Amino acid sequence: MQVVIMGCGRTGSALATGCEAEGDQVSVIDVDETVRNHLPRGFGGRFVAGNGITPRVLEEAGIAHAEAFVALTPNDNANTVAARVAREVFRVPRVLARLYDPAHAPVYSEFGIVTVGSVQTTVNRVVQLLHHSTLEPHQTFGNGETLLVRSRVPDYLAGRGVLEFNVPGEIQVVELSRAGHSRIPEHSTPLEGGDIVSFIVAARSLDRLRSFLDGGSS
Amino acid sequence: MRIIVIGGAGLPEQVAAALHKAGDEVTVIDTDPDREAALVKVGLRAVRGNAAAPSTLEAAGALRADVLVACTRSDEDNLVVSLVAKKHFDVPRVVARVNDPANEGLFDRSWGVDAVVSPLSALISIIHQAT
Repeated sequence: MQVVIMGCGRTGSALATGCEAEGDQVSVIDVDETVRNHLPRGFGGRFVAGNGITPRVLEEAGIAHAEAFVALTPNDNANTVAARVAREVFRVPRVLARLYDPAHAPVYSEFGIVTVGSVQTTVNRVVQLLHHSTLEPHQTFGNGETLLVRSRVPDYLAGRGVLEFNVPGEIQVVELSRAGHSRIPEHSTPLEGGDIVSFIVAARSLDRLRSFLDGGSS
Repeated sequence: MRIIVIGGAGLPEQVAAALHKAGDEVTVIDTDPDREAALVKVGLRAVRGNAAAPSTLEAAGALRADVLVACTRSDEDNLVVSLVAKKHFDVPRVVARVNDPANEGLFDRSWGVDAVVSPLSALISIIHQAT
Protein backbone atom coordinates (compact mmCIF):
# COMPACT_ATOMS: atom_id res chain seq x y z
CA MET A 1 0.00 0.00 0.00
CA GLN A 2 1.22 3.50 -0.81
CA VAL A 3 0.94 5.75 2.25
CA VAL A 4 1.55 9.49 2.56
CA ILE A 5 2.18 10.80 6.08
CA MET A 6 2.12 14.51 6.90
CA GLY A 7 4.20 15.43 9.94
CA CYS A 8 7.54 13.85 10.80
CA GLY A 9 7.56 14.26 14.58
CA ARG A 10 7.54 11.40 17.06
CA THR A 11 4.27 9.93 15.87
CA GLY A 12 4.77 10.54 12.15
CA SER A 13 8.25 9.06 12.03
CA ALA A 14 7.19 6.06 14.15
CA LEU A 15 4.17 5.47 11.91
CA ALA A 16 6.36 5.75 8.80
CA THR A 17 8.71 3.15 10.24
CA GLY A 18 5.83 0.87 11.19
CA CYS A 19 4.19 1.12 7.77
CA GLU A 20 7.45 0.39 6.02
CA ALA A 21 7.89 -2.69 8.18
CA GLU A 22 4.45 -3.80 6.96
CA GLY A 23 5.71 -3.50 3.40
CA ASP A 24 4.07 -0.17 2.55
CA GLN A 25 5.65 2.42 0.29
CA VAL A 26 5.85 5.49 2.51
CA SER A 27 6.31 9.21 1.84
CA VAL A 28 6.65 11.68 4.69
CA ILE A 29 5.93 15.41 4.38
CA ASP A 30 7.09 18.05 6.85
CA VAL A 31 7.53 21.83 6.65
CA ASP A 32 10.77 21.47 8.60
CA GLU A 33 13.54 19.88 6.56
CA THR A 34 15.63 19.16 9.67
CA VAL A 35 13.14 16.64 11.13
CA ARG A 36 14.05 14.25 8.32
CA ASN A 37 16.56 12.81 10.80
CA HIS A 38 13.66 11.51 12.95
CA LEU A 39 13.38 8.78 10.33
CA PRO A 40 15.56 5.77 11.01
CA ARG A 41 18.77 5.17 9.12
CA GLY A 42 18.00 3.00 6.15
CA PHE A 43 14.43 4.28 5.83
CA GLY A 44 13.54 3.43 2.25
CA GLY A 45 10.68 5.88 1.79
CA ARG A 46 10.65 9.42 0.53
CA PHE A 47 10.87 12.68 2.52
CA VAL A 48 9.33 15.82 1.02
CA ALA A 49 9.92 19.25 2.60
CA GLY A 50 6.88 21.52 2.40
CA ASN A 51 3.39 22.29 3.68
CA GLY A 52 1.15 19.26 3.21
CA ILE A 53 -1.87 21.42 2.35
CA THR A 54 -0.15 22.57 -0.87
CA PRO A 55 -1.25 20.42 -3.83
CA ARG A 56 2.19 20.55 -5.45
CA VAL A 57 3.80 19.24 -2.25
CA LEU A 58 1.24 16.43 -1.98
CA GLU A 59 1.86 15.51 -5.62
CA GLU A 60 5.59 15.37 -5.02
CA ALA A 61 4.90 12.91 -2.20
CA GLY A 62 2.98 10.67 -4.60
CA ILE A 63 -0.55 11.49 -3.44
CA ALA A 64 -1.96 10.71 -6.90
CA HIS A 65 -1.32 7.00 -6.35
CA ALA A 66 -1.67 6.90 -2.56
CA GLU A 67 -4.17 4.56 -0.96
CA ALA A 68 -3.89 6.27 2.42
CA PHE A 69 -3.12 9.73 3.77
CA VAL A 70 -2.51 10.44 7.45
CA ALA A 71 -2.12 14.00 8.80
CA LEU A 72 -0.24 14.07 12.10
CA THR A 73 1.16 17.58 12.53
CA PRO A 74 0.55 19.51 15.79
CA ASN A 75 -1.60 21.97 13.81
CA ASP A 76 -5.26 20.89 13.74
CA ASN A 77 -6.20 23.29 10.96
CA ALA A 78 -3.32 22.13 8.76
CA ASN A 79 -4.27 18.49 9.38
CA THR A 80 -7.90 19.12 8.52
CA VAL A 81 -7.21 21.13 5.37
CA ALA A 82 -4.62 18.64 4.09
CA ALA A 83 -6.93 15.71 4.82
CA ARG A 84 -9.80 17.35 2.97
CA VAL A 85 -7.56 18.18 -0.01
CA ALA A 86 -6.28 14.58 -0.08
CA ARG A 87 -9.82 13.26 -0.13
CA GLU A 88 -11.66 15.81 -2.29
CA VAL A 89 -8.95 16.79 -4.79
CA PHE A 90 -6.86 13.62 -5.00
CA ARG A 91 -9.57 11.08 -4.14
CA VAL A 92 -7.40 9.18 -1.66
CA PRO A 93 -9.59 6.32 -0.39
CA ARG A 94 -8.39 6.29 3.23
CA VAL A 95 -7.79 9.58 5.00
CA LEU A 96 -7.16 10.20 8.71
CA ALA A 97 -6.32 13.36 10.64
CA ARG A 98 -5.08 13.75 14.19
CA LEU A 99 -6.63 16.43 16.37
CA TYR A 100 -5.22 17.90 19.55
CA ASP A 101 -8.08 20.14 20.61
CA PRO A 102 -11.14 18.03 21.50
CA ALA A 103 -13.26 21.19 21.84
CA HIS A 104 -13.07 21.72 18.10
CA ALA A 105 -13.51 18.13 17.04
CA PRO A 106 -17.22 18.58 16.18
CA VAL A 107 -16.35 21.28 13.63
CA TYR A 108 -13.80 19.09 11.92
CA SER A 109 -16.06 16.07 11.82
CA GLU A 110 -18.48 18.18 9.74
CA PHE A 111 -15.75 18.32 7.13
CA GLY A 112 -16.26 14.58 6.71
CA ILE A 113 -12.77 13.70 7.91
CA VAL A 114 -12.15 10.72 10.18
CA THR A 115 -10.24 12.13 13.12
CA VAL A 116 -8.07 10.59 15.81
CA GLY A 117 -8.09 12.71 18.94
CA SER A 118 -4.76 12.01 20.60
CA VAL A 119 -5.60 14.08 23.67
CA GLN A 120 -9.12 12.65 24.01
CA THR A 121 -7.85 9.09 23.56
CA THR A 122 -5.23 9.57 26.27
CA VAL A 123 -7.68 11.24 28.65
CA ASN A 124 -10.28 8.47 28.23
CA ARG A 125 -7.66 5.79 28.78
CA VAL A 126 -6.14 7.41 31.86
CA VAL A 127 -9.53 8.10 33.46
CA GLN A 128 -10.51 4.54 32.84
CA LEU A 129 -7.28 3.15 34.33
CA LEU A 130 -7.59 5.41 37.38
CA HIS A 131 -11.21 4.70 38.15
CA HIS A 132 -12.25 1.48 36.50
CA SER A 133 -9.33 -0.88 36.85
CA THR A 134 -11.77 -3.72 37.54
CA LEU A 135 -13.45 -3.16 34.20
CA GLU A 136 -10.52 -3.64 31.88
CA PRO A 137 -11.72 -3.10 28.30
CA HIS A 138 -11.18 -5.80 25.70
CA GLN A 139 -11.64 -3.30 22.92
CA THR A 140 -12.21 0.43 22.57
CA PHE A 141 -13.99 2.10 19.68
CA GLY A 142 -13.58 5.53 18.07
CA ASN A 143 -11.49 7.65 20.37
CA GLY A 144 -12.39 5.61 23.43
CA GLU A 145 -15.96 6.89 23.75
CA THR A 146 -17.31 3.34 23.66
CA LEU A 147 -15.76 0.21 25.13
CA LEU A 148 -16.26 -3.53 25.17
CA VAL A 149 -15.81 -4.81 28.71
CA ARG A 150 -16.25 -8.26 30.26
CA SER A 151 -17.05 -8.89 33.88
CA ARG A 152 -17.81 -11.79 36.16
CA VAL A 153 -21.32 -11.62 37.53
CA PRO A 154 -21.47 -11.50 41.35
CA ASP A 155 -23.48 -14.25 43.05
CA TYR A 156 -26.10 -11.91 44.47
CA LEU A 157 -27.31 -11.14 40.94
CA ALA A 158 -28.13 -14.83 40.22
CA GLY A 159 -31.67 -15.23 38.97
CA ARG A 160 -31.94 -11.71 37.56
CA GLY A 161 -32.51 -11.30 33.83
CA VAL A 162 -29.24 -10.63 32.08
CA LEU A 163 -30.77 -7.90 29.92
CA GLU A 164 -31.72 -5.94 33.04
CA PHE A 165 -28.24 -4.39 32.73
CA ASN A 166 -29.23 -2.65 29.51
CA VAL A 167 -29.57 1.13 29.66
CA PRO A 168 -30.45 2.70 26.30
CA GLY A 169 -27.53 4.72 24.95
CA GLU A 170 -25.28 3.70 27.83
CA ILE A 171 -24.97 -0.02 28.47
CA GLN A 172 -25.76 -2.95 26.20
CA VAL A 173 -25.26 -6.63 27.03
CA VAL A 174 -23.90 -8.43 23.98
CA GLU A 175 -22.64 -11.82 25.13
CA LEU A 176 -22.75 -14.28 28.00
CA SER A 177 -20.25 -17.04 28.78
CA ARG A 178 -21.22 -19.86 31.12
CA ALA A 179 -19.07 -22.88 31.84
CA GLY A 180 -16.88 -22.19 28.83
CA HIS A 181 -19.77 -21.81 26.38
CA SER A 182 -20.59 -18.46 24.84
CA ARG A 183 -24.00 -17.31 23.66
CA ILE A 184 -25.93 -14.20 22.74
CA PRO A 185 -28.39 -13.84 25.61
CA GLU A 186 -32.14 -13.47 25.17
CA HIS A 187 -34.64 -11.63 27.31
CA SER A 188 -35.50 -14.68 29.33
CA THR A 189 -31.94 -15.74 30.06
CA PRO A 190 -31.47 -15.67 33.87
CA LEU A 191 -28.02 -15.02 35.31
CA GLU A 192 -26.08 -17.59 37.31
CA GLY A 193 -23.24 -16.83 39.69
CA GLY A 194 -19.93 -17.12 37.84
CA ASP A 195 -21.34 -16.09 34.47
CA ILE A 196 -19.09 -13.77 32.47
CA VAL A 197 -20.97 -11.05 30.61
CA SER A 198 -19.70 -8.82 27.78
CA PHE A 199 -21.01 -5.27 27.72
CA ILE A 200 -20.75 -2.46 25.22
CA VAL A 201 -20.60 0.60 27.44
CA ALA A 202 -20.20 4.33 26.92
CA ALA A 203 -17.02 5.60 28.62
CA ARG A 204 -19.09 8.08 30.62
CA SER A 205 -21.32 5.25 31.91
CA LEU A 206 -18.55 3.02 33.29
CA ASP A 207 -19.33 4.24 36.80
CA ARG A 208 -22.93 3.22 36.40
CA LEU A 209 -22.03 -0.26 35.17
CA ARG A 210 -19.57 -0.68 38.02
CA SER A 211 -22.18 0.33 40.56
CA PHE A 212 -24.54 -2.33 39.11
CA LEU A 213 -21.85 -4.98 39.46
CA ASP A 214 -20.67 -3.86 42.89
CA GLY A 215 -24.21 -3.79 44.20
CA GLY A 216 -24.09 -0.05 44.69
CA SER A 217 -27.19 2.00 44.15
CA SER A 218 -27.87 2.87 40.53
CA MET B 1 -21.37 47.34 6.63
CA ARG B 2 -20.63 44.93 9.44
CA ILE B 3 -17.23 43.36 8.81
CA ILE B 4 -15.21 40.77 10.73
CA VAL B 5 -11.46 40.70 10.11
CA ILE B 6 -9.43 37.67 11.24
CA GLY B 7 -5.75 38.14 11.97
CA GLY B 8 -3.25 40.10 13.99
CA ALA B 9 -0.58 42.72 13.52
CA GLY B 10 0.31 43.81 10.00
CA LEU B 11 -2.05 43.51 7.05
CA PRO B 12 -5.18 42.37 8.99
CA GLU B 13 -5.05 45.31 11.41
CA GLN B 14 -4.31 47.75 8.62
CA VAL B 15 -7.27 46.45 6.65
CA ALA B 16 -9.48 46.70 9.73
CA ALA B 17 -8.36 50.26 10.50
CA ALA B 18 -8.92 51.39 6.90
CA LEU B 19 -12.41 49.90 6.80
CA HIS B 20 -13.23 51.50 10.14
CA LYS B 21 -12.13 54.89 8.79
CA ALA B 22 -14.36 54.35 5.77
CA GLY B 23 -17.32 54.07 8.15
CA ASP B 24 -17.75 50.31 8.46
CA GLU B 25 -18.48 48.58 11.76
CA VAL B 26 -15.38 46.40 12.19
CA THR B 27 -14.60 43.57 14.63
CA VAL B 28 -11.13 41.98 14.72
CA ILE B 29 -10.52 38.41 15.92
CA ASP B 30 -6.98 37.68 17.01
CA THR B 31 -5.26 35.20 19.31
CA ASP B 32 -2.77 37.75 20.61
CA PRO B 33 -3.95 39.40 23.87
CA ASP B 34 -1.33 42.13 23.56
CA ARG B 35 -2.99 43.60 20.47
CA GLU B 36 -6.40 43.99 22.05
CA ALA B 37 -5.76 47.37 23.74
CA ALA B 38 -4.21 48.84 20.57
CA LEU B 39 -7.26 47.78 18.54
CA VAL B 40 -9.78 49.22 20.98
CA LYS B 41 -7.79 52.46 21.11
CA VAL B 42 -8.34 53.11 17.41
CA GLY B 43 -12.05 52.38 17.73
CA LEU B 44 -12.15 48.75 16.63
CA ARG B 45 -14.03 45.99 18.40
CA ALA B 46 -11.65 43.20 19.43
CA VAL B 47 -12.46 39.57 20.20
CA ARG B 48 -9.70 37.30 21.38
CA GLY B 49 -9.74 33.62 20.49
CA ASN B 50 -9.44 30.89 17.91
CA ALA B 51 -11.47 32.09 14.92
CA ALA B 52 -12.01 28.52 13.74
CA ALA B 53 -14.20 27.93 16.81
CA PRO B 54 -17.87 28.74 16.11
CA SER B 55 -18.21 30.25 19.61
CA THR B 56 -15.51 32.84 18.83
CA LEU B 57 -17.09 33.76 15.51
CA GLU B 58 -20.47 34.10 17.16
CA ALA B 59 -19.03 36.38 19.85
CA ALA B 60 -17.65 38.53 17.04
CA GLY B 61 -21.11 38.86 15.53
CA ALA B 62 -20.84 36.36 12.68
CA LEU B 63 -24.62 35.88 12.60
CA ARG B 64 -25.14 39.50 11.58
CA ALA B 65 -21.95 40.14 9.60
CA ASP B 66 -22.09 41.21 5.95
CA VAL B 67 -18.46 40.38 5.21
CA LEU B 68 -15.76 38.22 6.78
CA VAL B 69 -12.11 38.71 5.84
CA ALA B 70 -9.86 35.71 6.68
CA CYS B 71 -6.57 37.51 6.61
CA THR B 72 -4.07 35.57 8.77
CA ARG B 73 -0.60 34.58 7.65
CA SER B 74 -1.62 30.93 7.62
CA ASP B 75 -3.41 29.53 4.57
CA GLU B 76 -4.82 26.57 6.51
CA ASP B 77 -6.27 28.88 9.17
CA ASN B 78 -7.86 31.11 6.51
CA LEU B 79 -9.45 28.10 4.77
CA VAL B 80 -10.90 26.59 7.95
CA VAL B 81 -12.26 29.93 9.17
CA SER B 82 -13.82 30.62 5.75
CA LEU B 83 -15.57 27.26 5.72
CA VAL B 84 -16.88 27.62 9.28
CA ALA B 85 -18.09 31.17 8.56
CA LYS B 86 -19.99 30.04 5.48
CA LYS B 87 -21.33 26.72 6.77
CA HIS B 88 -22.24 27.76 10.33
CA PHE B 89 -23.13 31.41 9.89
CA ASP B 90 -23.90 31.78 6.21
CA VAL B 91 -21.86 35.01 6.04
CA PRO B 92 -22.87 36.55 2.68
CA ARG B 93 -19.37 37.48 1.53
CA VAL B 94 -16.23 35.66 2.63
CA VAL B 95 -12.91 37.10 1.49
CA ALA B 96 -9.72 35.10 2.12
CA ARG B 97 -6.04 35.92 1.87
CA VAL B 98 -3.66 33.53 0.13
CA ASN B 99 -0.13 33.62 1.51
CA ASP B 100 1.57 30.97 -0.62
CA PRO B 101 0.56 31.43 -4.29
CA ALA B 102 0.94 27.63 -4.68
CA ASN B 103 -2.22 27.29 -2.54
CA GLU B 104 -4.29 29.73 -4.59
CA GLY B 105 -6.17 26.94 -6.36
CA LEU B 106 -7.62 25.74 -3.05
CA PHE B 107 -9.40 29.00 -2.29
CA ASP B 108 -12.80 28.50 -3.87
CA ARG B 109 -16.48 27.94 -3.04
CA SER B 110 -15.76 24.44 -1.73
CA TRP B 111 -14.07 26.20 1.21
CA GLY B 112 -16.75 28.86 1.52
CA VAL B 113 -14.52 31.48 -0.13
CA ASP B 114 -16.29 34.05 -2.35
CA ALA B 115 -13.25 36.21 -3.19
CA VAL B 116 -9.50 35.64 -2.96
CA VAL B 117 -6.76 38.16 -2.26
CA SER B 118 -3.17 37.16 -2.90
CA PRO B 119 -0.90 40.06 -1.90
CA LEU B 120 2.20 38.30 -3.21
CA SER B 121 0.67 37.42 -6.60
CA ALA B 122 -0.66 40.96 -6.94
CA LEU B 123 2.74 42.43 -6.19
CA ILE B 124 4.52 40.13 -8.62
CA SER B 125 2.09 40.82 -11.45
CA ILE B 126 2.48 44.57 -10.93
CA ILE B 127 6.27 44.21 -11.02
CA HIS B 128 6.03 42.22 -14.25
CA GLN B 129 3.72 44.79 -15.81
CA ALA B 130 6.07 47.62 -14.88
CA THR B 131 9.16 46.11 -16.50
